[in-house]
Amino acid sequence: MGIKRLENFMTTEKQRGFETDFTLDAAVYEVWDEIEVGRKAKAKQTFLIKEEDILSYNMSALEDDPLFVDPTAARAAGHDHVIAHPLFAVQIAFYCIEKGPGNWLRSPGARNPGQKMHFYEPFRVGDEITLTTTTHDKWVRRNNYYLQDRYDYHNQDGTLIAVWYATLLLPRDRAELARFAAVSGEAS
Amino acid sequence: MTELHFSDLRINEPLPTVSHAVSQDTIDLCAVAHLDFNPVHTDVEWCKTAQVFGTPKTVAHGMFTMTLMTSVVLRAWQRAGAFVNSIDAKLTRPVEVGQTLRCDGKVIELHPRGPGQSFVVVGLTAVNTQGDTVGVGQAQVTIPD
Repeated sequence: MGIKRLENFMTTEKQRGFETDFTLDAAVYEVWDEIEVGRKAKAKQTFLIKEEDILSYNMSALEDDPLFVDPTAARAAGHDHVIAHPLFAVQIAFYCIEKGPGNWLRSPGARNPGQKMHFYEPFRVGDEITLTTTTHDKWVRRNNYYLQDRYDYHNQDGTLIAVWYATLLLPRDRAELARFAAVSGEAS
Repeated sequence: MTELHFSDLRINEPLPTVSHAVSQDTIDLCAVAHLDFNPVHTDVEWCKTAQVFGTPKTVAHGMFTMTLMTSVVLRAWQRAGAFVNSIDAKLTRPVEVGQTLRCDGKVIELHPRGPGQSFVVVGLTAVNTQGDTVGVGQAQVTIPD
């Protein structure tokens, strides 16, 4: 596992079981020059939404509205559970992809140029989300190597809940990725 | 806001600011909640050498900036029944640990579409402690009639 102090912030079962050292196993991550546009894959695992998952995301968003962070208050106001911040979609994607198809999302040395996300339904407790990743585009601009996957989030009924066009500037090739992964750090 | 009606909204109407200091604890909490443990956010020693953004410091998640930009809309209108349909943002500069992130929004488009379908576009900006723009974007938001 990675940096010890991060354990102080873990409040959910999924977090406690998740590999936090992203430099570990970087040798198996997909890299820009090997990925083909159009590649489609089902993510490694599904995400069964629990209230603790939503709560964790809302707390990290520094929300203080009881509808987001207080289950009792949310129920008293007529909701079944706390309301999910729409960008809770991020936690779902990292969990579902893990080290499977689309794992370039974890690349050390990557940079985030901005993102586009669409939301069609709220994320609800009890939904089991299946994530499908499709490599939507890759391009070079000003010597930066961009990769974009489309993530489709469907629930157990097949309802499309959200779409995220996930884009990063990536290390171009395996050698560059390996160079970042080899840098010594606290997690080493 | 307890009541929100599309017909009451005007172009350039501002939404309340969302502002937060970005400490390492903030970043760590975010890493755990996002399940994004990229060392550029969490590994202080790794950042000193790797300097992915040209700084020896850790930087906040870009998705934290986008989360707070979205929160401008949520905190203003969620309780009144608004629904965020989309968020589209560009992140123009990294946010180093120790900065304060300030996010603002204002209505820039009105789309009257009839019962239950009308929406607005909110223009969003995020700036750091020095006032440098770190993010710009737009959220499309369905508003009650």
